[in-house]
Amino acid sequence: MLDFLKMLLTPEFFFSIIRISAPILFATLAAIVVEKAGFCNIGLEGLMMFSALSGSLVSYYANSWLIGLLAALVVGVLMSLMMGFFAFQLKTDITLVGIAVNIMGSGGTLFLCKVITNLTEGKTMASTTGFITKGLCIPNITIPLVNKIPFLGGILSGHSLLTYLAFLFCLLTSIMLYKTSLGLNIRAVGENPNAASSVGVSVLKIKYIAIGFSGLMCGFGGAFMSMSYAQGWSLDMVAGRGFIALAAQAMGNGECLGGMLSSLVFGFAQALGIKFSARGLDSNLASPIPYAVTIIGLVIFSLVRRSHAKKERSAAAHAAQAAK
Amino acid sequence: MTKKREIIFSLVRGLLAICIALFVAMLLIFISSEGAGFGEKLRATGAALKQLLIAPLFRTGRSGVSFDVKRLTDVLASMIPIIFTGLSVCIMFSANQFNLGAEGGIMLGAFTTAMVAIYVPMGAVIHPIVAVLAGGAAVAVLMLLPALLKTKLDVSEMVCSLMLNYIVMYVIKFLMNTYLADKTKGQIQSYEFLQSAKIAQLVDNGSKLSVGFLVALVVVVICGLFMFNTRWGYTIRMIGLNQDFSRYSGMKVAGVIVLSQVLGGFLAGMGGGIEMLGRYNTFSWSALPGYGWTGITIAILAGNNPWLVPLASFFLAYLTKGCELMATYANVPAQLLDIVQGVIFLFFAAEQFLSRYRQKLVVKSAQEELAGKEGAKHA
Repeated sequence: MLDFLKMLLTPEFFFSIIRISAPILFATLAAIVVEKAGFCNIGLEGLMMFSALSGSLVSYYANSWLIGLLAALVVGVLMSLMMGFFAFQLKTDITLVGIAVNIMGSGGTLFLCKVITNLTEGKTMASTTGFITKGLCIPNITIPLVNKIPFLGGILSGHSLLTYLAFLFCLLTSIMLYKTSLGLNIRAVGENPNAASSVGVSVLKIKYIAIGFSGLMCGFGGAFMSMSYAQGWSLDMVAGRGFIALAAQAMGNGECLGGMLSSLVFGFAQALGIKFSARGLDSNLASPIPYAVTIIGLVIFSLVRRSHAKKERSAAAHAAQAAK
Repeated sequence: MTKKREIIFSLVRGLLAICIALFVAMLLIFISSEGAGFGEKLRATGAALKQLLIAPLFRTGRSGVSFDVKRLTDVLASMIPIIFTGLSVCIMFSANQFNLGAEGGIMLGAFTTAMVAIYVPMGAVIHPIVAVLAGGAAVAVLMLLPALLKTKLDVSEMVCSLMLNYIVMYVIKFLMNTYLADKTKGQIQSYEFLQSAKIAQLVDNGSKLSVGFLVALVVVVICGLFMFNTRWGYTIRMIGLNQDFSRYSGMKVAGVIVLSQVLGGFLAGMGGGIEMLGRYNTFSWSALPGYGWTGITIAILAGNNPWLVPLASFFLAYLTKGCELMATYANVPAQLLDIVQGVIFLFFAAEQFLSRYRQKLVVKSAQEELAGKEGAKHA
């Protein structure tokens, strides 16, 4: 046991937590902003799949990771705006739009992959894993000076560019939501669309911005998956991270900081699972750990919220009695 | 608006949604088809479309088009699991519960049924029945988790059920790999089902159209009656329409929400079990089969109405078969199905799709009504 703990308390382990959390954090930010605008986008999973595929393909054909990344972002945003069109203009239930995008994101990406690359390895498996070489991956950044710090340096330095962006975006999103007029409008639309529109805010426009933002974040997340986390796209590679992000949003109480912490919890769970399987635990038992942690986390969050509400109520009752 | 016009409107709308999806499919096939020039590509597209649209039921050859019984039974056989998941999703979505656990449910049901079929010897007729019911019961119990968490703690049933899908898949894979696999075989599969557990085939031509198909139709009838002719069904639909109203009018909302998901889980589990015993000899699924997602599409196409589920299932089974044939004979990847499904899904569920046409119909009906009244007055 002590042995195992020693193995955990290494810079590599903490490094892997941060690395694993990054795509979840991107998706969580997406979930947070749309939730603030008053709806829930469950299509994050599908959006990330499409972005992952397009990122890896374009970077291969253009021979540049930057163009690939941009393509992933563009695809993410365009797909999310299309979702918005169906949800806001044609009034399809947003949940159903999300499910449709997820269905397309699962088999549809495989279809596109096969058609574009003309690969047909075997019957079902086709991937772009051979396409992304080291040079086409999103570069890792060694931070000067920081990497010299013992222990911490090994944790914080040397991550992919997108990992740093994820945490930067966490801060920026928080500022956007609480310090800018756009953020105010987004929150207003989420809390009371009628009131927002009565003071001249275009509810439709704000909703489009929110869902477009979620597409942008999924673009980053998808690109990270296929161009940094793994080298190349493969079927169902996002593996529920879009759904975990929805849970992280709920557990983080819809705030950026909380969302970030929840993402790190999931990152921890998965990193732990990987360590366990390295120690000989069946990988089929290690893999479901993050999903189980999601459910447990939701339950704990809900219990905490409930007891808070209870306390507040009783405090209010006491205050009322004291006032008498 | 008159009832007749309402029906015509939904028909037109549905057909148009399907046409749009097929048009998208055509575009994609055209892009993916091989050929040098425009004309050649067009010809390839035509050939692929023929496979997609006609081939599931008809064999086309030199001698013209002929009906193919084997292909029909293939399509009917592949309807079995998706009728069950379709019904399952219908019931859960009717209560406005976006429980997406049918996917994991059908796998757990199949697994449980398979285990009973292998390890619990029983009499011939009773064995498959007990095995399938056990499969259903296992999933019903599983669905208690998202349902109770939703009603007691307000945890999103959607996220919870999605997570459960993954957990179910991995745990089953673990059990198979470590304890239950037949080690003499090359791939991971269980031992063979006992002979007594197998579900009899309706037609003996290899398309695996089993008695399960009849069971599925019976279950459709039961679900239809349940949803539209019982108090429980009415309550489920009412809660789906307006939860607050239902609560104020004294319905036991929490209980019914749990009931709808448990029932949905039971149906999905049964579907998995029947599919297992009717089609296979051993359990060898190593990934989620996808029937749960198809079930959602079916529920959308059927408008959450159990009576329409067989029709929607037939349509999707037909498309699936078409896509498979297209992949074999026209070299178009079968996953085109997912894109077509998604597009149909989007337009079908779009409330405002063709709303102007609908508006016109409403106005027309109103004018006619007014004219009728005027006429009656003058007379």
